[in-house]
Amino acid sequence: MNKIKAFFRYGNTGYFFVLPAVAYMLFFVGYPIASNLILSFQDVTLRTLKAETKTFVGFQNYIELFTSDNILATSLLNTLVFTIACLVFQFIIGFALAVLFNKKFTIAKPIRGLLMMPWMIPITVTGLIFKFMFGTDVGIINYFLKGIGLISENIDWLTNTHSAMVAVVIANIWIGIPFNMILISTGLTTIPEELYESAEIDGANKFQVFKGITLPLLKPTIESVLILGFIYTFKVYDLIYVMTSGGPVNSTEVLSTYSYKLSFELFKYSKGAAVANILFIILFFVSLAYLKFAYTEEET
Amino acid sequence: MDDGKKMKGSKNRLYCVITIIIFCILLFPLYWIFVTSLKTEQEIFQIPPTFWPKVLNTRSYLVQLENGDFNMFRSFGNSLVIAVGAMMISIIFAVPASYGIARYSFVGKKAIILCFLITQMLPVSVLLTPLFIMFKNLHIYNTLWSTIFADATIGIPFSILILKNYFASIPRELEEAAYIDGCNKLTAFFRVLIPIAKQGVIVCGIFSFLYAWGDLAYGMTFIIDQEKRPITAGIFNFMGQYGTKWSYLTAFAVVTIIPVALIFIFMQKYIISGMTSGAVKG
Repeated sequence: MNKIKAFFRYGNTGYFFVLPAVAYMLFFVGYPIASNLILSFQDVTLRTLKAETKTFVGFQNYIELFTSDNILATSLLNTLVFTIACLVFQFIIGFALAVLFNKKFTIAKPIRGLLMMPWMIPITVTGLIFKFMFGTDVGIINYFLKGIGLISENIDWLTNTHSAMVAVVIANIWIGIPFNMILISTGLTTIPEELYESAEIDGANKFQVFKGITLPLLKPTIESVLILGFIYTFKVYDLIYVMTSGGPVNSTEVLSTYSYKLSFELFKYSKGAAVANILFIILFFVSLAYLKFAYTEEET
Repeated sequence: MDDGKKMKGSKNRLYCVITIIIFCILLFPLYWIFVTSLKTEQEIFQIPPTFWPKVLNTRSYLVQLENGDFNMFRSFGNSLVIAVGAMMISIIFAVPASYGIARYSFVGKKAIILCFLITQMLPVSVLLTPLFIMFKNLHIYNTLWSTIFADATIGIPFSILILKNYFASIPRELEEAAYIDGCNKLTAFFRVLIPIAKQGVIVCGIFSFLYAWGDLAYGMTFIIDQEKRPITAGIFNFMGQYGTKWSYLTAFAVVTIIPVALIFIFMQKYIISGMTSGAVKG
């Protein structure tokens, strides 16, 4: 008892406050991460889920994933294509909107606020909305494209292997725009007005101002927006699962949907865990890069 | 400072018009499902599409009141229980933890913050299978608790990272004044610090609620009985079975958005502060 008292007396009171949350996270996150790793080295299926001892198979699951069929490679590639396509467009559009809303016209603030809506609504609903809008006969997008003469026949957006990815990317860009816009907006307001004024006096044109002042001062914001965007997009699950479930013929299969399918549709829990770990390892290294960068940024 | 350089005259009008056009394009999908939910099934498939229902049809909503199988309002209630539960757990654990991190220095503090940051970036796929097995063993599989516990793992780290900045910004003198007035550490925490950090607590509450409200993966995986499932899983099921019943589906979607829209309308300033401080500062 005395020892416990002494422990808290000597500047360790902090533990008393932090411990419950740490314990909770260790139990519901830390332990599962570890057991997911172990699971991926075993051979657990629906039959062996309740078994007392589980066979240890080493790297067998990983080897099979890489060699037996191409689905893992396909999903890995799809995840990358999906992430990069989303990042490029949502960043450009978000940036443009942030610059626009940084101007002080009457309705700038309320409209900017309302544009946050797409980011807030449940992704399942977003998936449903876009599935409806991309519908072949019922969809407004086909109707619109026909109206302006871009297409003559209805496109089977979600059931065609070439266009399904385009459709999910567009849906995800819609979610990502507000996120990019608001973070870049915040970054823009930190640039002091005087810099622009003095550049104006020196006779710099708009392009020079943007290249010489806005971009360099915004660099930390841009970097964190892109890395965070990468992390959030790389693990997208619900949107794709709702819109296409990874189909048609794996054309929109990403790591997260593939892992889910293996575990909860084919009941190959160990294989599903292995795919999840591959996803996790990639994100872990990207996160570390982000954290390292965020910390050095804070100290300078 | 905000009013320093307000735009005036025709330039102002031009910007307003451009913005309204952008606004209409970007938020069109939301308008579109709302309108669709009020149309008859026939009118939905009509070409050219109507931009306002010719016949106002509220049947898609009303039928849900009677229908037992995919009862929208029951799953709405389940979602509410799950989201409020996850929110309460998040706050109960995050408030003291963030206070401890902001006020005390101890060995391993940096590592703990780092771990919270990393859990925010964790894909759900990593936790799904092990939690599924764990909940089965704990006999809370197929109960609302399973999803509440899982959803709180998103809310807790987010809330801690936001709240620690709030607590750190409260001057120490205030706390010391409370000690002089006879508070001990615990009562000072409850009577002085929490009321001041109230705004931060609200931000965390909102986000923890929204994360849980929008979750599909956990609710769908850990709960199999239709009548216990949250509304997102309800929609997903409904889509699988009646994929083209768009009048019902869009009505379902509109009902799911209602709480989000309410939070959004009444608490917008908290949301923007949560988004920016959560993501950039970490």
